[in-house]
Amino acid sequence: MSRSAEAAFLLGASSLASFGVAMANLAGGGGIDAQVALTFLVFLIAFGSLHLALRQWAPRANLFLLPLVAVLTAVGLTMVYRLDPGRAGLQRWWLLIAAGLAVGILFAVRSTGLEPLRRYRYLLLLGALVLLLLPLLPTDWSIPLRGKTVNGSRLWIEFVAGPIGIQFQPGEIAKLLLVVFLASYLAERHAVLASGTRTIGRLRLVEPRQLVPILVAWTASFGVLIYQRDLGASLLLFAVFLTLLYMSTGRAAYLLIGTGMFTVGAFVAWQAFSHVERRVIAWLRPFSDFDGAGYQIAQGLFAMGSGSLAGSGVGLGRPELIPFAQTDFLFAAIGEELGLAGAVVVLCAYALLAAVGFGIAIRSRDMFRKLLAAGLTFVLGLQTFLIIGGVVRILPLTGITLPFMSYGGSSLVSNMVLIAVLARLSHEEPA
Amino acid sequence: MPALILTLLKLIFVALLFLFVWQISRAITGHLGIGVNRVPTRRSKELVLIRGDDVSGERFKVEDVLVLGRSPQADIVINDPYASEFHMRFVSGDEGLVLHDLGSTNGTYVNGRRVTAPQVLVKGDAVQVGKTVLEVR
Repeated sequence: MSRSAEAAFLLGASSLASFGVAMANLAGGGGIDAQVALTFLVFLIAFGSLHLALRQWAPRANLFLLPLVAVLTAVGLTMVYRLDPGRAGLQRWWLLIAAGLAVGILFAVRSTGLEPLRRYRYLLLLGALVLLLLPLLPTDWSIPLRGKTVNGSRLWIEFVAGPIGIQFQPGEIAKLLLVVFLASYLAERHAVLASGTRTIGRLRLVEPRQLVPILVAWTASFGVLIYQRDLGASLLLFAVFLTLLYMSTGRAAYLLIGTGMFTVGAFVAWQAFSHVERRVIAWLRPFSDFDGAGYQIAQGLFAMGSGSLAGSGVGLGRPELIPFAQTDFLFAAIGEELGLAGAVVVLCAYALLAAVGFGIAIRSRDMFRKLLAAGLTFVLGLQTFLIIGGVVRILPLTGITLPFMSYGGSSLVSNMVLIAVLARLSHEEPA
Repeated sequence: MPALILTLLKLIFVALLFLFVWQISRAITGHLGIGVNRVPTRRSKELVLIRGDDVSGERFKVEDVLVLGRSPQADIVINDPYASEFHMRFVSGDEGLVLHDLGSTNGTYVNGRRVTAPQVLVKGDAVQVGKTVLEVR
């Protein structure tokens, strides 16, 4: 496959997006209007500029990243438009902003490569912490940058410039910075962390001092769970750390210990905190409290069930009955209106994206780049798994967006930046 | 809009999605290295570091000659007190992969036996220097 084939795929995905919007219009009794053309145009500008940026500044970058992202975004925008045309309009703006930022990153690292990310790791860690704390800014002060509470979570900042107010979740970007930090830190320290000498039979044990970082990560992730009440972020943080530790040292003992610690922590959290307990009950018995805690999950199940094999058709189901269908429960809306067929094709696209990412990690030339590629791919894959798993009820529900598909600017921006870094990593592979 | 047309459009939409992802998945196999090694290579040319102070699992491809030792100038630098500066040499030639001990102080062991003359390696052989073990893949 060549770069030109990539361009053809991107054109195809743009057409699919406008096709989807047109279908939603037709189902609602409307016709082919400006929205259809606008969607096509926005996709073309966003992905076209990314494509040109790759040609210009990272010509050896992987060819499959952008097409897969584009097709996921196309299906996502179709469903968001169908659920809430106004928000789809905003989402198109976010797509342009996200693509612009990704292009900016490719431009910024065009000659330095990703080396600065390794060198300034503590600065990046500090940046991540500042971003995580930003939402705690006062909500009512006069500076145009304020904290904001949305749906009971203090995870937002609001930037006000005249009549325009932009809301953003800085934690999404902090997540990426944390992965960069961990990759850089472990690339240097993995030898020490893997050098335990005690053995019992065939099992190589870990020295007690090597457990310190894992304890820190465990404490931090449960801190997030308890004080921010953010189950998803907590799980993501711990899992990413554990996986990178395992990937860099090749020690299964870390996975075993980490999983054990997680199980204990999860059990204690379930017993001790009512908000965790509610989630677990809604997961195990959504119909026992249908009008309360189980309502969202139960509606999602009904939606996917009524979608059956081929779905009701875009605009012909009732996915608006599911609370937060355009963000957390977008996958249920896809299951209802595009059926199992549509849901499966979306899953395939995510699986291929993960495969591409791990392929990049395997072929990267040094430990830092390997860990960075694998860590970023893992973050993307785990988010997808957590939220889809929550919607189809194989996991307790965690409030995480579906990458590239859910409505939400912060998530789209951070995931697009992630793709730009992956693309750059694949460009830096040894030939 | 008649329901039939909408159903048709929906099916076309999903079919196009499948086509899109299918085309990509076909092209991707090359990227992942699936199908590249279909032709069985008769000779092993690759070494994998199984155990050592540094990176475990690191792979080395012997294209021509690789020298292993403690010296920073060696191709495979190992941080093992039992290894000599230039400990041994791997040569990939007509006979396959051949191991030469370069007169090392503490010797080289293949599958537990000390190497006394140049030795042809086959897949699965374990080459040991001090605490460091490499496997022929």
